[in-house]
Amino acid sequence: MRLGFVGTALAIGVVACTGREAPPAGRLVDDLGRAVALPGPARRIVSLSPSTTDRQFAIGAGGRVVGRTRWCDFPPQAAAVPSVGDGLNPNLELVLSRKPDLVVFYASAANQGVIARLDGLGLGAASVRLDRLDDVPRVARLLGRLTGATARAESLAARFGAELDSARAARAAGANDPTRRVAVVSWDNPPIIIGAGSFLTELIELAGARNVFDDVAQPSAQTGIEAIAAREPDALLVLGEGVPAFARRPEWQAVGAVRRRSFVAVQGSEFERPGFRSLDAVRTLRAALRRSKGR
Amino acid sequence: MKWLALGAAALLALLTAVVVGPAGFSGEPATVAIIRDLRIPRALLAFLVGGSLAVTGAALQALVRNPLADPYLLGLSGGAGLGAVGAIALHLDSPWVLPASAFVGALAAILVVYRLGVVTGAVLDPRVLLLAGVVVGAFAAAMMGAIMAVSPAAELRNAFVWLLGGFGSASWRSVSVFASYAAVPVTLMYLAARPLDLLTLGEEPATYLGADVERTKRRVYVAASLLTAAAVAVSGTIGFVGLVVPHAIRLFWGHLHRTLLPAAFLLGGTLLVFADALARTIFAPVELPVGVVTAFVGVPVFVLLLRRWPR
Repeated sequence: MRLGFVGTALAIGVVACTGREAPPAGRLVDDLGRAVALPGPARRIVSLSPSTTDRQFAIGAGGRVVGRTRWCDFPPQAAAVPSVGDGLNPNLELVLSRKPDLVVFYASAANQGVIARLDGLGLGAASVRLDRLDDVPRVARLLGRLTGATARAESLAARFGAELDSARAARAAGANDPTRRVAVVSWDNPPIIIGAGSFLTELIELAGARNVFDDVAQPSAQTGIEAIAAREPDALLVLGEGVPAFARRPEWQAVGAVRRRSFVAVQGSEFERPGFRSLDAVRTLRAALRRSKGR
Repeated sequence: MKWLALGAAALLALLTAVVVGPAGFSGEPATVAIIRDLRIPRALLAFLVGGSLAVTGAALQALVRNPLADPYLLGLSGGAGLGAVGAIALHLDSPWVLPASAFVGALAAILVVYRLGVVTGAVLDPRVLLLAGVVVGAFAAAMMGAIMAVSPAAELRNAFVWLLGGFGSASWRSVSVFASYAAVPVTLMYLAARPLDLLTLGEEPATYLGADVERTKRRVYVAASLLTAAAVAVSGTIGFVGLVVPHAIRLFWGHLHRTLLPAAFLLGGTLLVFADALARTIFAPVELPVGVVTAFVGVPVFVLLLRRWPR
């Protein structure tokens, strides 16, 4: 009887131990190099960038997201989560009203004041940098450890990493194939182009093309029509549908691709930020490039 | 001699601007097309806008009798910016929408400031005009902030980049439209050169000396504002040209507007053409906003000028 009780107690103890989610293993350090103070897996998360919101849902922690920015539009379920407004330098009162135990920021100096206040209140704050394709698996693993969804995050991250590696290998193997040269014009007046610092340049590379402004280190930069014309891109990549309005302006006719109406149009939030859908974006882009080649 | 030097500098600036650029300089058909369709109109537009801003600054400094006056002082940049931001927030999608809405915004600001300027009576009071300009500018800035905060349009940031100024969208069409438009206000200001000389002495002495003070003030104010509105529409707000150039000319040429105004036009145009050439070549293919370059050039020049200021 007595033995039985001990056995039951032990059994309960074991169940309790394994049933309880493991606290984040070791010390978690975010992308600003700060330790994230979190006693256990986060249960109420305010996610202050569209890409981390997307990622939380992807790793199965979407149910714990209790606050998002007004820009978070993917997945569609995210719309049901209350918005706390802007993600950079957010409204602290609105964030706190969601009673979070973890706030996930985009890594930016603009958030320092808010992060210091959260620290003072003993709440978790993690800043993640999610700009490039290589950031995708790393950030997924970090969010997995913060939320306890470690296994799913790990399997998704590993799969994405493997697919990314094989896409890069395939690209390297076809390095000698004729490459279409594109420029990404994200705004026309003043002309703003996408440079090497953007994941869009990575998508273009993986889709078998080349960004003619891949020598510009910034994610995006102001330039001139002449600079675009001088690089002689085969096509202009535009985010949106069809032929952009600026194609009708006289000064843009100096760009050969505009004269030929050689536009590659893609749209969707997978082209706005890197994520698990980025390799789908590569496939979409490759198909769009192929379609426009005929013209 | 001075005129010859100014003219030579202007020619040199225009030549430099036509020769330098990312596409190089050669007889290849593609390069020729770029030089003809992009570089030449861009250099000409920069020259015309620079000249217009400098003339406007000179006239307004005389009008409000304040050395700090510049073309944007009277609420114009605020009105233009509000127009541009509003158009983007409303998703008005046309290639001409940014300049057109900026122009409309600037006109609205002019109307309000002018109405406030005569609020104290039938006469246009320069002090009230200055205050009204500042107030209207502040109100427009607040409205822009509100639109930025509530509008879901992610492109709004680009409205501010546009407002920082540049000649990236210059074309033969914008040059011809601006040139034919600017001819009228520039001529009106030049015709007011003599009364402007008198006005710098003060309104009362100017009246005694035979100037029609009220008419001069109104005409110069309206001409200056309409010219600035058009300059903003084609190139955003470009600081320092309208402030620094008139002072530089006054130091070397004296204060007579008959020479001050045309000399300011030449120097303003020259300065802005050089600034634009620098803006698009220093970090090519990345362009600096031309207002950044005019500030880099304008501030040290201004400091040097202050050392020579007559005591």
